[in-house]
Amino acid sequence: MNEIIVNGMSFSIPLFIIAVGGIYSERSGVTNLALEGFMGAGAFFGALFTALTAGVFASTSNLPMYLSLFVAMAGGALYAIIHAVLCIKFKANQVISGVVVNILAMALTDFLTSQINESVLGHSADKFILNVFPRLTVESLTGIPVLGGFFTNAYIFEFIIIAVAVVAWYVMYKTRYGMRLRACGDNPYAVDAAGCNVGRIQFAAVMVSGALSGLGGMCFAYSVFGHYSTSIYAGYGYLAIAALIFGNWKIPATLGACLLFGFARAAGYSLIQYLELPGTYSDLIMILPYVLTLLLLMIFSKNNRAPRALGEIYDKGKR
Amino acid sequence: MSEYIVEMRHVTKRFPGIVANDDVSLGIKKGEIFALLGENGAGKSTLMSILFGMYEPDEGEVYVRGKKVETFSPNHATELNIGMVHQHFKLVSNYTITENIILGMEPQKKKFGFLPVVDIKNTNKKIAELSKKFGLEVDPTQKIENINVSMQQRVEILKMLYREAEILIFDEPTAVLTPQEIEFLLEIIREMRRNGKTIILITHKLEEIKQVADRCAIMNRGKLIEICDVAETSTKKMAELMVGREVSFTQEKTPCKPGEVMLKVENLVVKNADGFPVVNGVSFNIRSGEIFAIAGVAGNGQVEIADAIAGLAPAAGGKVILDGQDITNSPVKARNKMGIAYIPEDRQTWGLILDFTLSENLLLRRYDIAPYCVNGVLHREHFTEKSEELIEHFDIRSGQGGQTIVRSMSGGNQQKAIIAREIDLDTPFVIFVQPTRGLDIGAIERIHSQIIAERDKGKAILLVSLELDEIMNLADTIGVIYNGQLLKIAPAETMTSNEVGQYMMGVKE
Repeated sequence: MNEIIVNGMSFSIPLFIIAVGGIYSERSGVTNLALEGFMGAGAFFGALFTALTAGVFASTSNLPMYLSLFVAMAGGALYAIIHAVLCIKFKANQVISGVVVNILAMALTDFLTSQINESVLGHSADKFILNVFPRLTVESLTGIPVLGGFFTNAYIFEFIIIAVAVVAWYVMYKTRYGMRLRACGDNPYAVDAAGCNVGRIQFAAVMVSGALSGLGGMCFAYSVFGHYSTSIYAGYGYLAIAALIFGNWKIPATLGACLLFGFARAAGYSLIQYLELPGTYSDLIMILPYVLTLLLLMIFSKNNRAPRALGEIYDKGKR
Repeated sequence: MSEYIVEMRHVTKRFPGIVANDDVSLGIKKGEIFALLGENGAGKSTLMSILFGMYEPDEGEVYVRGKKVETFSPNHATELNIGMVHQHFKLVSNYTITENIILGMEPQKKKFGFLPVVDIKNTNKKIAELSKKFGLEVDPTQKIENINVSMQQRVEILKMLYREAEILIFDEPTAVLTPQEIEFLLEIIREMRRNGKTIILITHKLEEIKQVADRCAIMNRGKLIEICDVAETSTKKMAELMVGREVSFTQEKTPCKPGEVMLKVENLVVKNADGFPVVNGVSFNIRSGEIFAIAGVAGNGQVEIADAIAGLAPAAGGKVILDGQDITNSPVKARNKMGIAYIPEDRQTWGLILDFTLSENLLLRRYDIAPYCVNGVLHREHFTEKSEELIEHFDIRSGQGGQTIVRSMSGGNQQKAIIAREIDLDTPFVIFVQPTRGLDIGAIERIHSQIIAERDKGKAILLVSLELDEIMNLADTIGVIYNGQLLKIAPAETMTSNEVGQYMMGVKE
């Protein structure tokens, strides 16, 4: 039981923060299929940082790992500018832009990873090896049945992500910026009439989206993979999109969807072990979250309400 | 310092293919209700959009409180305490009234002494007070998607008042309102004048001007014709100045010479999305050469009757028989082929494809038949030929003729295009739903005479209208609908408008 919780949480929480990133962009009215690319590009910058600074810090120090989370956020935000410029400045089709940004991320980071390994670090490899992120066990709470599992062997980044998500929720629902952002997703003309700059609000929202995706991607690199390579493009960005749609573009409900996906996946792995199935069957279990996605899509789609102006190209002159 | 709070001097504004404002000069006094009267496309809205900073004039100057306006932007206009209620509201549908009003200048408070949050609670109170002061009757905690058009308009008004606007511009504010709501709005406007606000009313409805305005500027084709004192000028005189010719308020109409029954509706039932029967057992006949008008207060099922006959809404019960054939379950296209022309209520949603050209829109009903389409290939030269003929014949005005994108045309000309297309089908039965909604007096007159001309050609006509005057003017037979049922069907000459009004309220048995 505890194992399912530990594995489920370590998958759900990074997925959740990527989905929150998606919510920022989509609630501002910009369709975001580029989460996958943002995630991978952000993680690339984070992993690059740890690789380049390996000699600077003491080998036992955890500090570079924490710093790499910030670098991944900054890198994700930076990379997201491509999507923002295409969609907002040049009014490109947002779906196409998202797909292009994903493909570009994969190709670019693959190329750069090999090149930097070869020319800067002096050995040929297509990945950056990462240390294991520190885990935390709160001894006083582990005794509690079921709930104790959430405080056993949890990655510390899970707590960092929850804190970031709380801030993201606060900004979106309680502050001026959040109010204007959500208004842009419903009726950008109203925001414009109120004297605010729609383009600027959306631009910032897409960058936040990149930052949060970068954070999530970096955490995946530390937990699921243990290294950075193109294998990080495993479709988690798309899964995050599915999660935010089930969550009806709302942050708390999206957390629920992510937990569901994460626990389905973790339970699948435990099932394989329990049944002592050969390793190849694990691939079959890997599809579990996606099958679940399909099923949920069929059930929940009709109650969903996307932001009204989502994907609409904002054109000031139109009436 | 002049006596005027707003002064426009020799303002000219050109758009591609059209001069919207041609050397217009006028002054507006503080604390008055100033009306701008003109037909659709006369340049009223453009002129006021310049004052609100949405356009920069090509020539001429604008002065506000004696100071020349240098920068033209809505933000700057707001700083000058100018506010504008647009024809199309700009509201966020999933926000509350308060949230919409404060958007862009949200008051903040510090939670726990340091966290800035938008202060909704206190603002709710403030807005409730403001609403009370001007008699607007809105509940600030309601969401926009749950309130009607009239209240949405009042939210727009509150938006301006919250921003401390002193000069308030209303662009065609009554076009979307029912008669009762119009009364209510005019009272609000008077209340604002009592509070010292200056009000500019863009409209083409003479009656409203007569009721509230102090002075009235009349425009025609971009030019200012005259500024008159409303109390001293007759409605007829204003109408003539506006249209540029004599107008008659009542239509010349010969007695109806009905022929065979063309449309037969038996016990029609139409249900809405919730399964509620909005039309409940309606029966009537329309004969050739007869105008059958359905009168009623909005939302009593009249539009659903028209939709069910045209095939846009399924009939849950009863029969629709056109020229002896049962069409109750026929698809829309089959009905069109059998001879139904339909002028829908909402011209932008159901009547036109806004981003297509005028020429394409005029051929929407025929694009698939020869000579416009042969073996699946469209023949554009025939499109052009036909649309030019219709544009000429129905006097549809636009910037670039048949190649104009319909979205950029004025509402009146959009409506003319629909009527041209439908009448030209030359079907034995025509449905007009709210054919003159939002149009000016000249256009209304033209459409009314077209409807009568169609009748005189021997067509059966179903007219659905919320304007009692229109029904009394045109109908041969009147059916009054109340709560989904026809309370009364009688020849028009046997009923007075007062009686019809009573049936509309459901009071008369």
